[in-house]
Amino acid sequence: MAKIDLDNVGLTFTIRQNKQITLKEYIVRGLMFRSGKSAGMKVHALNGVSLQAADGDRIGVIGHNGAGKSTLLKLLAGIYPATRGRCKVEGRICSLFDITLGFEGDASGWENITYRSYLQGESPTTLKKKMQSIADFSELGEFLDVPVRYYSAGMMMRLAFSIATAVDPEVLLIDEVLATGDLAFQAKARARMNEIKNNAQLMVLVAHDLDTIRAMCNRVLWMQHGAVHMSGPSNPVIDAYIRSVQNAPPVAAAA
Amino acid sequence: MIHQFTAIWKFRHFLMALIKLDLRLRYRRSVFGIGWSLLNPIAMTIVFCVVFSSLLGNGDWRSYAPYLLAGMAVWAFLRDSALQGCRSLISNEAYIRQSPLPYGLYPLRTVAGQAIHFGIAMFVVLALCLILLPQRLELLKVIPYVIPGLALAFIFAWSVATITSFVNVYFQDTQHLLDVGAQIMFFLTPIMYPASTLTKQGLQWLLDINPANLYLELIRTPLIEGTPPSLQLYAVGVVVTGCFVGLALGTVAWLQKRVIFHM
Repeated sequence: MAKIDLDNVGLTFTIRQNKQITLKEYIVRGLMFRSGKSAGMKVHALNGVSLQAADGDRIGVIGHNGAGKSTLLKLLAGIYPATRGRCKVEGRICSLFDITLGFEGDASGWENITYRSYLQGESPTTLKKKMQSIADFSELGEFLDVPVRYYSAGMMMRLAFSIATAVDPEVLLIDEVLATGDLAFQAKARARMNEIKNNAQLMVLVAHDLDTIRAMCNRVLWMQHGAVHMSGPSNPVIDAYIRSVQNAPPVAAAA
Repeated sequence: MIHQFTAIWKFRHFLMALIKLDLRLRYRRSVFGIGWSLLNPIAMTIVFCVVFSSLLGNGDWRSYAPYLLAGMAVWAFLRDSALQGCRSLISNEAYIRQSPLPYGLYPLRTVAGQAIHFGIAMFVVLALCLILLPQRLELLKVIPYVIPGLALAFIFAWSVATITSFVNVYFQDTQHLLDVGAQIMFFLTPIMYPASTLTKQGLQWLLDINPANLYLELIRTPLIEGTPPSLQLYAVGVVVTGCFVGLALGTVAWLQKRVIFHM
């Protein structure tokens, strides 16, 4: 039973101009410049986002760069806690963010399958049964014996996607990774995601390729500057987004 | 609080797989392999024995060498757990950004790896003690009494690694401060010299406030002298370790929702 329940969620980052604060700076600033304002820029990555989703929903998230799409996914995955509002996600989560993250470069493909699977909560017994099917789906063949640092972006994506979808997730979160796969793999990925759809699970997909979103999602969220601009069935929202991009003057960067 | 530990238990396979990877990577392409982790304490022991026993005439190297090696092994474990542990959150940033695992898991990865090296070093210390020290039978009987000390040292090291790794995310010069601090503490802790050197100078308080000394008393003293630690010493050990555990749990509870914003 997968469920997403976001209620007026806000997420604010305070970004320091120079990220590395030393202990000396901190003490000096505290002692000498007590009234100085903190050198931080507040970024409202998410602002009043509400979302209700249940089994069977495949939600696409579209919007301009910096709209908060990836941040929304990370919030759903539990990586960022909401600074305002309530966020509840039920079900086994499997996330596919930056494909290069979470790979141990010096370990082989096989070993990385074990690490990532354990990261997703598998145990050695459950993994043993799935190991071969993961390897077959990725179609990497003997490259699985090679350390992952020598893989191309597409190969890593294949591996990461095969592992992520083999876990039988209840909530699948995908962030713009499918673009690096070749045509054949994109077709396979689409087929596998359809399988997942048929198992009545929840999927949230961030992509810039609007055809992918049209094909795979039944609901679309159009985000702008951290807030949900429009949400509804895929085709109307996507068409509205395309129209706005074609008509509007260049959109200002995230405020 | 309990949630931290149950969550770590849930991801134990992930943790163990990474610990094994760390061990393998540390000694890939090296001839001696894991034997290298012994080289530092053994080499230091030989050098110190030569310098302090023969050149400065500090006494019989046969009793000094096991004392030194045991002290070096414990110290190396505590020091490396703190120094490498303080980088654990930063070096595992990739996993933190992928999956919301319990934060205590990352320092544990480092400390468990160090504990394995420490375990190997302790075997060598034991062998050395059996060979060189006269009271062999007492030594064998005292080994079970050392095990609680080892467990307490491990828990202490994990707590310190957790605290320093969180602090290091906020102030990145923590690791440099710890480097210097460890160097200073090496000379203030009775590793090269017996504890009596400090007490004779009226510096007993230095021994009392030094947590490393507590674990040396719990681990090294039984092996060298052949007598198990007193119940009072165990109690002190449990209380001190408990304090650090409390600090670590407090740090995690306070900062776990905030630290991601500072990485």
